[in-house]
Amino acid sequence: MTTSSGNLAQKAVTETAIKIDNLNKWYGDHHVLKDVSLDISEGEIMVVCGPSGSGKSTLIRSLNHLEEYQEGVVSVFGQPLSRDRQSHKIIHQTMGMVFQNFNLFPHLTVLQNCTLGLTWLRKMSERDADKMAMRLLDRVGIAHLATRYPGQLSGGQQQRVAISRSLAMEPKIMLFDEPTSALDPEMVKEVLDVMIDLAKTGMTMVCVTHEMQFARQVADRVVFMADGEIIEVGPPEQVLVNPQWDRTREFLQHVL
Amino acid sequence: MDDLNVKNQPVLKQFVPTPPRPPRKSERGIFGTIRHRCFNSIGNSLLTLCVATVLFYLAKHVLDWAVFNAVFIADNRRQCMDISPDGACWAGVISWFNGLIYGRFPVDEQWRVNIGVLLGLVWLLPLMSKRIPLRNFILLSWIGLYPFVGAYLFLGGRFGEELGLVHGAMTCLALAFLIIIYANWILSALGKKGLNELFVPLVSRLVERRIHLLSFVAVWLLVALVIALGLSQVSLEPVPIERWGGLFLTFIIAGFAITMAIPVGVILALGRRSKLPVIHWLSMTVIELVRSVPLITVLFMAVTLLPIFLPADMEFNKLTQVLVAVCLFAGAYMAENIRGGLQAIPKGQYEAAATLGLGYLHTMVLVILPQALRMMIPNIMTSFISLLKDTTLVSIIGLFDIMLMARNIANDKDWVGMHTEPLVMISVLFFILCYSMSQYSLNLEKRLKVDR
Repeated sequence: MTTSSGNLAQKAVTETAIKIDNLNKWYGDHHVLKDVSLDISEGEIMVVCGPSGSGKSTLIRSLNHLEEYQEGVVSVFGQPLSRDRQSHKIIHQTMGMVFQNFNLFPHLTVLQNCTLGLTWLRKMSERDADKMAMRLLDRVGIAHLATRYPGQLSGGQQQRVAISRSLAMEPKIMLFDEPTSALDPEMVKEVLDVMIDLAKTGMTMVCVTHEMQFARQVADRVVFMADGEIIEVGPPEQVLVNPQWDRTREFLQHVL
Repeated sequence: MDDLNVKNQPVLKQFVPTPPRPPRKSERGIFGTIRHRCFNSIGNSLLTLCVATVLFYLAKHVLDWAVFNAVFIADNRRQCMDISPDGACWAGVISWFNGLIYGRFPVDEQWRVNIGVLLGLVWLLPLMSKRIPLRNFILLSWIGLYPFVGAYLFLGGRFGEELGLVHGAMTCLALAFLIIIYANWILSALGKKGLNELFVPLVSRLVERRIHLLSFVAVWLLVALVIALGLSQVSLEPVPIERWGGLFLTFIIAGFAITMAIPVGVILALGRRSKLPVIHWLSMTVIELVRSVPLITVLFMAVTLLPIFLPADMEFNKLTQVLVAVCLFAGAYMAENIRGGLQAIPKGQYEAAATLGLGYLHTMVLVILPQALRMMIPNIMTSFISLLKDTTLVSIIGLFDIMLMARNIANDKDWVGMHTEPLVMISVLFFILCYSMSQYSLNLEKRLKVDR
């Protein structure tokens, strides 16, 4: 906990990784994101929390264009994104994503899941790709399961595979969309440990999560969202311990 | 935080799981099962006895007709009747057996059909082995190259004359590929490098990139050249397509339809799901139009209408037209099967592929289609089985497939009016074929289930 504020001071001079400017999104008439603006610096760990339906998943999915938005601009490392080929390239080269339901490819082994992008997109040789994937699987502690299929793994193990699959593409920013929400309580810790390790390497991370313990431990800043708006942004000590708004306090009473 | 709680409590009891215990022993074994299932009450016992009696009489009559009273050796139907009036006359089927299998293919050249079919099976054999290099290419090469070898063997002709240059060259390439596959299989079993690596040292001196590919191409062309030299020396008796027939022709049509059904079906299914309106409507029209018309009319249209649309100087034989029609028909049905599989794939799979940076083609080929096809194996196999049976309809437009050959037996002056025996024989044959297909599909399902 003491390290986080120290990191922040260091990061103050680094450049902006993601700049969200006045993002607006409607599902039909339903206004799900209302003028959302946020800057995320390189190396920063940003935790997004809020009640369900607050638009936090929509926000994180808008960053890598899994959701379309009607107004506003998202810039990654200074490059404003649009719907063209160039933007897609930037997104795929800089951002990795981990989903609530893992979304592993069930017909491929754990190792093949991790090497798929390397061999087909990076045109890496099979041997190099295998080596790199095994290193990542070893890092998340499941190298011994490399030849299994996702269906044979527990939820926690599957989510760790999903994380190394994303890391294999060497992203600069990792997006986590409720990575522990579909897990049994006993398995939440093993995934959080991997995320904490990742945070220590200086990766830029945006996490939508309900794990307040995790937020307190590693987050540089916490964003609280409700009804499609950002209500509070700040260091975890401020937002989680001493919130300025009644809506935040009400939410925290339910989660903590 | 948890330390406090632990310290306050007394020593915890240690949890030891109860040892497992085997299930009850009765109700096991054949007799146990029969007693348990068929004779567990008075009503059920009576029912079992009734059904058993009916089955017994049915089996007895069928066996009497087909085996005990049947005639296997006779010169004509009259002789059959004289020997045993109420038994099957298999002698007729036996004397026409060759015709049922090969149609009117010249007897002296039938070894070519055998070799051709055998070659097709041998080509696919390496797929059983899991460790062979270039494994993915074997199936593709079979689809792309085997038809040339088959057509050469079945049609015959001399290189450069009846056998066109392009066709001849493709035949050589195909045979060369087959030889390389087998050489590689043996070499990899011996733990050595494949034949395709032969030129790697030489090629690596000339170019820097794609060394292995170029070496493979070099070996392939070399072997093909040797085969071409050999092939130009031999001459096979030409056999016109009109003389093809029997089970052999059924295999060609069904085999072609089955192989083309998946690619055509995938293209139509993806087209129907496309967001581009022209492609979407075009695919949908083809699928709906072909699906809502009986196969017979599709076949008739192919034979009578297709020549009208095509330029006058372009002439197709009947078989080609039928193949196109059957391929379209099979593809339209397969497209709906595959679309069903595509719809069952969760949206998350597309999203995961997109976040990895995979484009449309990569996503489909690497992620979505393998799963969709696997999920649809039972449906796809059902389509294949009905395709195999449907191909017997081509007899209606005058192709001498096994059905038409069977009906011809009844027109033979020696076997006039013999309808039942050939049809029973065909039924048994088709049952064996279709049943083995469905067993294979069950086996395939079981083998691919590991990942679920």
